[in-house]
Amino acid sequence: MLHARCCLNRNGTILGLDLQNCSLKHLGPNFPQAHTAIIIDLHANPLKDDLASTFHGFIQLQTLILPEDVNCPGGINAWNTVTFYPNNQTCEGQRNLCNSTGDTEICPENGSCVPDGPGLLQCVCADGFHGYKCMRQGSFSLLTFFGILGSTTFFISILLWGTQRRKAKAS
Amino acid sequence: MAWPSVFQRGTLLSQFSHHHVVVFLLTFFSYSLLHASRKTFSNVKVSISKQWTPSAFNRSIEPVEIWSSNHLFPSAEEATLFLGTLDTIFLFSYAVGLFISGIVGDRLNLRYVLSFGMCSSALVVFIFGTVTEWLHFCNKGLYCCLWIVNGLLQSTGWPCVVAVMGNWFGKAGRGVVFGLWSACASVGNILGACLASSVLQYGYEYAFLVTAAVQFAGGVVIFFGLLVSPEEIGLPGIEAEENVEEDSHKPLINGAENEDEYEPNYSVQEGSTITQVKAISFYQACCLPGVIPYSLAYACLKLVNYSFFFWLPFYLSNNFGWKEAEADKLSIWYDVGGIIGGTLQGFISDVLQKRAPVLALSLFLAIGSLVGYSRSPNNKSINALLMAVTGFFIGGPSNMISSAISADLGRQELIQGSSEALATVTGIVDGTGSIGAAVGQYLVSLIQDNLGWMWVFYFFILMTSCTIVFISPLIVREMRSLMQRRQARILSG
Repeated sequence: MLHARCCLNRNGTILGLDLQNCSLKHLGPNFPQAHTAIIIDLHANPLKDDLASTFHGFIQLQTLILPEDVNCPGGINAWNTVTFYPNNQTCEGQRNLCNSTGDTEICPENGSCVPDGPGLLQCVCADGFHGYKCMRQGSFSLLTFFGILGSTTFFISILLWGTQRRKAKAS
Repeated sequence: MAWPSVFQRGTLLSQFSHHHVVVFLLTFFSYSLLHASRKTFSNVKVSISKQWTPSAFNRSIEPVEIWSSNHLFPSAEEATLFLGTLDTIFLFSYAVGLFISGIVGDRLNLRYVLSFGMCSSALVVFIFGTVTEWLHFCNKGLYCCLWIVNGLLQSTGWPCVVAVMGNWFGKAGRGVVFGLWSACASVGNILGACLASSVLQYGYEYAFLVTAAVQFAGGVVIFFGLLVSPEEIGLPGIEAEENVEEDSHKPLINGAENEDEYEPNYSVQEGSTITQVKAISFYQACCLPGVIPYSLAYACLKLVNYSFFFWLPFYLSNNFGWKEAEADKLSIWYDVGGIIGGTLQGFISDVLQKRAPVLALSLFLAIGSLVGYSRSPNNKSINALLMAVTGFFIGGPSNMISSAISADLGRQELIQGSSEALATVTGIVDGTGSIGAAVGQYLVSLIQDNLGWMWVFYFFILMTSCTIVFISPLIVREMRSLMQRRQARILSG
């Protein structure tokens, strides 16, 4: 449904955002709220920001219309089609850069690549791994460990005290 | 040839009651556990240095919290240097603690001292490795302080266990018993390596947790189960002839009673069980002929031995890229070689009644095995084999040098009969050895940082050669007496 300049779905999440001709110089701190948008129109705005890192989390964005002097975030490689119109630039079809066959490893060990927006990547921990640098795998059961250790210590102590120290003179 | 006395006395085994067995096992495993927690630290060095540094990728990776948020050290090299510093600090405080602990153990109940030392050291290790990680509180000063305290507390272990063993096992059969018993440090290394590698996947903090908890449990068991001496339950003590001057200094199968902090194979510290006999002063002991060169020789060999102990897993995963848990398991082979080497060479030297030739041969072969090991291919089986061989040739002499030469020095004509001389000389030799080892830890990380692992091996080879150089007078002397003995035998019969 349409509500002002927003196109919302039944749940109220933003699917489309029309901000053309709003005299916007900066997109503002609340812009990431529209990260679910599939289509965003920003043309006819005097935008001054470098958009490369403003689209964190916009993984569903497929069509982005920008003023003619602003480049597509992530460059031409991040989009399937970039079309130049007289009064705007249209970036269409966000590419999943994780699939690109590069020479270098995209993510360090135990990290797996997930897209994070146009031209942006994220390395999250692969399945089963967690923690800093994804070094940790699985979870250590403290209860089992201390249970076994405690009971073993208890029994050995009792046994040894009975066989060894019971007859010991007070030192 | 003099076979160890155990073969001559058929009634030996009847001397040992179940109390002896329990004391043997308890002291064996308590020292093993102490060593295991030390080994844990060296086995998790790779994981710790990863935890303390940001990611080494040439571009920044999102999300930052997972990959770059820890900046305790800017790079892995700095972390390595700091880890080497920690090793050095530990060794220095351990050496200092040994002097204190020997005295303390002599005056207080050995059982209390040992179980206190084990339990409190376990607590400190727990705080060092597990609590700081759970609370995400990483502070270089705190780590250093904790490790100094740990060194002091761990030093209570060796004098106490050796004194207890000395109370229960007299001269008869002592050689064989102590030869077997002195494998406890290597067994502890193997235990620590196994424990660490099995829980490393959950996080390095759990490796510390497991070894600290097991060590604490060991301290509790010691408190409830250890009998310090036969007199405690009314049994007669070891024979009077062993208690007083002459025989308590008689060398073990591997030579004289000697106290040693890190050796894979150990001998007894005299000072804790000695009666009141006039002692020579520290200065006099230093001035005895031969003490200084042999102390230096021991410093060099101990340096190499401890460097392997501390740095092997790190080297394996750094140089070959093997996973840390696998490197930990493989580093066990060095200790296996050390156990076999110490026992076998000790036995041979006991049979020959001459240590120096065995020593010299083993050291020369040690240089060869170091060269071979440094050129080991990236193959786990070959590497393990070379590692075991190196352990055999370095661990054996290390133990024999510390015991045999100190015994010879302590039994010189100049100071015959003064029982305290042996302890003092032992203390000097071992103390110098420990300081040498401590300095070596720092040097290893420095050399590796700036010049690479190959130069570390050259450094080891240099140190082993220095050992040979320093003890060559003794070798010459013993070879000469061997020749004379053989000539006399030929002439007489």
